[in-house]
Amino acid sequence: MVKLTINGRKIQAEEGTTILYAARDNNIFIPTLCENEAVSPYGACRLCLVQIKTARGRERLVTSCIYLVEEGLTVETNTERIRKIRGVLLELLLARCPDSEVIQEMAAKEGITITRFYKRKGNNKCILCANCARTCEEVVGVSAISLANRGVDRELTTPFGDDFSEACIGCGSCAYSCPTGAITLIDRGSKRTIKWPHNRMEFKLQKCSVCGNYWAPEKQIAYIAKTSGTKLSEYVACPDCRD
Amino acid sequence: MEKYAVYVPRLVKKRENFAPGHRACIGCGEALAVRLAFKALDNNVIVANATGCMEIVASQIPNSSWHLPWIHTLFENAAAVASGIEAAYKAMRRKGMDVPNNVKVVAIGGDGATSDIGLQAISGALERGHDFTYICFDNEAYMNTGIQRSSATPFGAVTTTSPAGKKSFGQFTWKKNMPEIAAAHNIPYVATACHSYPFDLMEKVKKAVNTPGPAYVHVLSVCPTGWRSATDTVIRLGRLAVETGIFPLYEVENGQYKMSIDLPKLKPIQSYLKGQGRFRHLSDDLIAQIQERVKLEYEKLLGKAKNGNKRTKRNR
Repeated sequence: MVKLTINGRKIQAEEGTTILYAARDNNIFIPTLCENEAVSPYGACRLCLVQIKTARGRERLVTSCIYLVEEGLTVETNTERIRKIRGVLLELLLARCPDSEVIQEMAAKEGITITRFYKRKGNNKCILCANCARTCEEVVGVSAISLANRGVDRELTTPFGDDFSEACIGCGSCAYSCPTGAITLIDRGSKRTIKWPHNRMEFKLQKCSVCGNYWAPEKQIAYIAKTSGTKLSEYVACPDCRD
Repeated sequence: MEKYAVYVPRLVKKRENFAPGHRACIGCGEALAVRLAFKALDNNVIVANATGCMEIVASQIPNSSWHLPWIHTLFENAAAVASGIEAAYKAMRRKGMDVPNNVKVVAIGGDGATSDIGLQAISGALERGHDFTYICFDNEAYMNTGIQRSSATPFGAVTTTSPAGKKSFGQFTWKKNMPEIAAAHNIPYVATACHSYPFDLMEKVKKAVNTPGPAYVHVLSVCPTGWRSATDTVIRLGRLAVETGIFPLYEVENGQYKMSIDLPKLKPIQSYLKGQGRFRHLSDDLIAQIQERVKLEYEKLLGKAKNGNKRTKRNR
């Protein structure tokens, strides 16, 4: 166990955990958007910024979702300096995604309702946190979408920007892991539509042979059958009707 | 929301607030529902738990399943205790004491604690507008004391105090519509959920807790012991309850109804009733009567949801 101090409270954390998780276990709230336990940390949104002082006395600002706990570390999560930086970050995010309710709510909690920066036009809620791309690669294992280009041109996209990704199985994990609601998934009848900020893709859903409900995309069933080494004929009925 | 299959469950938080190793019966749907509900929340939650199954199985001295601050209350006053906690935090903050400002209060109880014994405390707490969430885990009878009927027991169900025989067919009153009673208080958020739709349940609990003001979530939890059903059919029975329309999933946000799952056609009620021993004695007449009532109630609800949608469109 590692001993450290967060906001004046002496706490213990297991070696190898990040400051964010250590704080969360002790009910110290650090705001974050891009964190997800299931995927590797990425440090994209920068909202979990904290001020640390190492045992040697070196002071700096770090993102708590990446920085691992150390012996004798002193962490401050809510100083004047942190609040100021977090405010600017939230204003920048508000300017980038003026329509996102999650960011509006988060900003309102910090007392920010208007942004000084130029508001981007169009209904874009993506903050480029790569939660979707990381999920697609690490959890699902297909890498159907990823972030492309650099700097201001950076965007979430399918390969070559087409409205079709050969690898995508339509599981909807990206829509679930998206923190701001930039990716939407709609099931209507036999068709599933997944909308990414710049592309969209449609999938055919498989009908259950017993009850007649549509239950999963055909491509996802083929992928599951392939990775688990089972026959496709085992998936004609939905999980409710299977015995 | 319910068609997330294999990959999304891996994205859910791993930390549990309700630990395993408790003394619930095999195949307990309520323990599953409690686990999912508190998995959706962080650890900044105070739980007021009314007497009932979940209090008995999870807190036998010297053990506890709760990784959260937890208070056992009497049968009748879970909502009153929760409102007291909320008021105490408010008072401490007003006096300038150093208390965390993101503490959420959740009261939980069974169907007996909610719709029979604790009804007036809940009604009072909802009416006073305390910022708390009440979650009712409805297993449709007093299961903990040996399956006695409650007002949430459905029509025709056998319990030890509503037995079936020559002169009786089991419970002869209809299930009390508790979510509608809560919605009639004009509170910001009311929802129904079921453990067989885990993402829907977690989303609703998260939404309810983050809503300022009172919120009410009614969770149907299958009880194989009391329902006399096989322990491996718990999830299926929950899904059938929703698919047959006997327990529809919906939310009421600021008075506007919204159906959670779009069912093109309801399944016949027999498919739900036949798996349960408590409905074994029902004659075809009674089943037809139940079917008619379920259809009527479901259409009433659909009508409300439709009107709600129209209103939102007009407002825009």
